[in-house]
Amino acid sequence: MKDVNILSIETSCDETSIAIVKNGCEVVALTILTQMDTHANFGGVVPEIASRMHTENITMVLEETLRKANMKVEDCDAIAVTYTPGLLGSLLVGIEFAKVLSYVYKKPLIKVNHLVGHIYANKIDNKLKFPCLALVISGGHTELIKMTGDYEFELLGETQDDAIGEAFDKVARVIGLPYPGGPNIEKLAKEGKRSYNLPHPVNDETYNFSYSGLKSSVINLVNNEKQRGHEINKADLACSFQTTAVEELTRKLELALKNTGIKNVIIAGGVSANKYLRGEIAKLCEKYDATLNLPEFIYCTDNAAMIGAAAYPLYLKGEFADLDLNAESTSSIC
Amino acid sequence: MNLFIDTHLNDVVIILHENGKITNMKKIENKKENSKYIMPLIKEVLDSKIPESIIVVNGPGSFTGVRLGVTIAKTLAFTLQIPIRTITSLECLKVCSLENEVAFSDKNGYYIGVFDEKNNLSNYSYLSNSEYLEYVKTHNVETDVTIDYLKVIEYAMQKETKNPHETNPIYIKKIDVEK
Repeated sequence: MKDVNILSIETSCDETSIAIVKNGCEVVALTILTQMDTHANFGGVVPEIASRMHTENITMVLEETLRKANMKVEDCDAIAVTYTPGLLGSLLVGIEFAKVLSYVYKKPLIKVNHLVGHIYANKIDNKLKFPCLALVISGGHTELIKMTGDYEFELLGETQDDAIGEAFDKVARVIGLPYPGGPNIEKLAKEGKRSYNLPHPVNDETYNFSYSGLKSSVINLVNNEKQRGHEINKADLACSFQTTAVEELTRKLELALKNTGIKNVIIAGGVSANKYLRGEIAKLCEKYDATLNLPEFIYCTDNAAMIGAAAYPLYLKGEFADLDLNAESTSSIC
Repeated sequence: MNLFIDTHLNDVVIILHENGKITNMKKIENKKENSKYIMPLIKEVLDSKIPESIIVVNGPGSFTGVRLGVTIAKTLAFTLQIPIRTITSLECLKVCSLENEVAFSDKNGYYIGVFDEKNNLSNYSYLSNSEYLEYVKTHNVETDVTIDYLKVIEYAMQKETKNPHETNPIYIKKIDVEK
């Protein structure tokens, strides 16, 4: 069969990224322009500034990607773009850009869900096997999903309140760590021990998660200690929080491994870059003789290569979008 | 043949300009989700023709509206390798007005452009509704300008072309984190 090259675009948050992905699994070229340093000045992503920077940079990111691939847009078979979920203004820049490419070069347009993209990051270098359990963990999502084939999703459980990444960011803020909070908690936790006793959120037999209780207990603890004039051991608190948060994930994943007998596990989403979390889930998979698939670090955070990987099955099915494609700020996989 | 794109407010205006005339013009008024309409409208107006240059209104106005128009325009210019020119929304008004000061309102305030006799820009600003009421007590500001698109396009065609990579919106109005 002829090779299929998909030019893919991701602008859902604060990374302007364009990739060319061959047959849904081989990254021909990938450019990621991150705005993290700019947003760090404001303590978090400022949506309007994110959108502005996408417009300023997007044609240059395309030029760079084509140069790396030594290809032209004409050589690609389709244009794929993230249309949900994310910051509306940011998504729209990528969408309009993709529509122009689709129109000018007469290539089919494929709309891709960003979260599905994170799952398909595992397809890069052909790692994803079915059936599998997918743990989608990011700043906006905490979901446990069963996949029986391409684009066949069954939601087993999800967070009832905050996403795990959101909890990491809020806790980071409370203990005074700079943006981005998640990676900074991970770094600090290495220097601490689990000396604070924090509650375990959803102690039931469902696959659901909860992080707002854990987050609130950290906030209360910090406030109480402050009132008493006590110093907080930040490293210990970061370690206690991270350990408890990850235990919540592994406990529910263990339940699913036991109940379904599925032997493939994947982790997707920005929080999957957390090395401690990776280690704990790896231990669990070993215990159940399951294979754990992890995307390379570069494909864990937002990137366009995963969008190209997720677009490939849609290309084969002929599921194309029109020039009236719009952005959607929220969505779910299942 | 030149393609003119104006999305700086909730209206979308797409015009084809050929041999000194407007040969096709489509306008969609007051749509909230511009993204659904802009590219289909451009496709309809171009009708498979390839433009020789692009003119885009690069603001100020609706942040998202301006951004979509400019993103589309710069991407068209970059991919088709054709010249791109920008004209501001306030220049569009000035070209069609006899006053040196022109303004238009979004719901919270007014964008004002102050020009000299030769239509050269001297100052753009954004005033809240109450600041604007004070301002017009001492200035002659025209807000009720009827846009003559042919005039606007011919004015824009006299301007220098830009590098598509460096073609960007102007916003004028400050956002919260800038205040």
